[in-house]
Amino acid sequence: MPDKADDVRLVERIAEGDAEALGELYDRYGRVAFGVLYRMLPGPEAAEEVAQDAFHSVWRQARSYRAERGSVRTWLLAICRNAAIDWRRTRGKRTEREVTIDAAAELLSDARVDERVVSAMRAERVRAVVRELPLEQRQVLALAFWGGYSQSEIAARTNTPLGTVKSRVRLAMNKLRERLEDER
Amino acid sequence: MSTERHATEDLPAYALGALGEAERDIVAAHVDRCAQCTRDLAQFEDALYEAAAIGAVQVEPPRDLRTRIVLRHRGARGREGANWAARIAEVLVRPVPLAVPAVLALLLVVSFAIIGTNRQQIDTYERTLAGVAAGRVVALAPTSPNPDARAAVVIPDQGRPYLVVRLPAPPSGKAWEAWVLQPGPKAIPAGTSTSGDVFVLFLTAQLGAGDGVAITLEPVAGSQQPTTQPILLVDRT
Repeated sequence: MPDKADDVRLVERIAEGDAEALGELYDRYGRVAFGVLYRMLPGPEAAEEVAQDAFHSVWRQARSYRAERGSVRTWLLAICRNAAIDWRRTRGKRTEREVTIDAAAELLSDARVDERVVSAMRAERVRAVVRELPLEQRQVLALAFWGGYSQSEIAARTNTPLGTVKSRVRLAMNKLRERLEDER
Repeated sequence: MSTERHATEDLPAYALGALGEAERDIVAAHVDRCAQCTRDLAQFEDALYEAAAIGAVQVEPPRDLRTRIVLRHRGARGREGANWAARIAEVLVRPVPLAVPAVLALLLVVSFAIIGTNRQQIDTYERTLAGVAAGRVVALAPTSPNPDARAAVVIPDQGRPYLVVRLPAPPSGKAWEAWVLQPGPKAIPAGTSTSGDVFVLFLTAQLGAGDGVAITLEPVAGSQQPTTQPILLVDRT
């Protein structure tokens, strides 16, 4: 698994204009970034296009990265996710792989995790924490994260009062943070 | 210490990207000036994205994706310190100020044409560069009116350096002209082409270590010095 301090040094090199450092960042997180995009977008071509745009954003924004605002992995994946949401908005439609309530019911997949990103033991721990969340909390997380829906949109789509959706988001996120932060 | 209320209630939804626009702006403004909420937000996001990394589809990206990402940025930072852009602009303004609006109009037409470049051309361009076996590849940065234009200098271990270019065919009576940018006030003409789509242009001028390269639109016979702004530019190879 990559060392966090090494990750920060990589971003510093990218900020200095080192394209090879961008390649090294891709070596570390390109596969998981592509996996995130693949899950959010209608097909591999879109994931490929948005991955290139996202790494270009990393190139342009490297100087503004602040370690106190989160890990490099989080920063990169957030850039990818935002790029995917922008892609869907600008294309003006949610396509056949739109995140439906059923398909998005789980935040996690059962696929084997890439150990270059998360150790197998840690991955099992994360899975356990997520599985402990009640189903309706996992659903709101998945719809918001993978589907890019706001709390109001989730309330409308699931026919649930907005206050209930907000409460589920808060409870789920607090539990994720408490349980995963404790064990870092 | 600020007496402003912390964004505790909305921070989880903000981290998840699930707030409406107005709420999001309020929380973002608060987080910008609150160290505690910045820390809390980092913890929410790290936990969420760790879970997402496990939830991502396990799929292999295309094999050449890494190459394309790196190639796109090799030499690109040179654009920010591109003294040559300023120098060429000076050359343009002094002798023929009336030509500038015409050049800008022409560039606009070129820009629209470039936007229409199809996916096949992109693939051909990327495949050509991916096939470079022995040598260095330095990307030229597109200038702002032409964000989709692409070119890279290939400096082979043996043989003459050349450009791989993705640009539409130039207008009638015009050509794409390459320039070698050495220290000093003058650009050195390095070959012209009237081709379009994806094409190769061998540099006819000597390219020294650290020299820059630019491409401009010129009369078909070529120019002694650039008469238009560069379409693509790298300050140092």
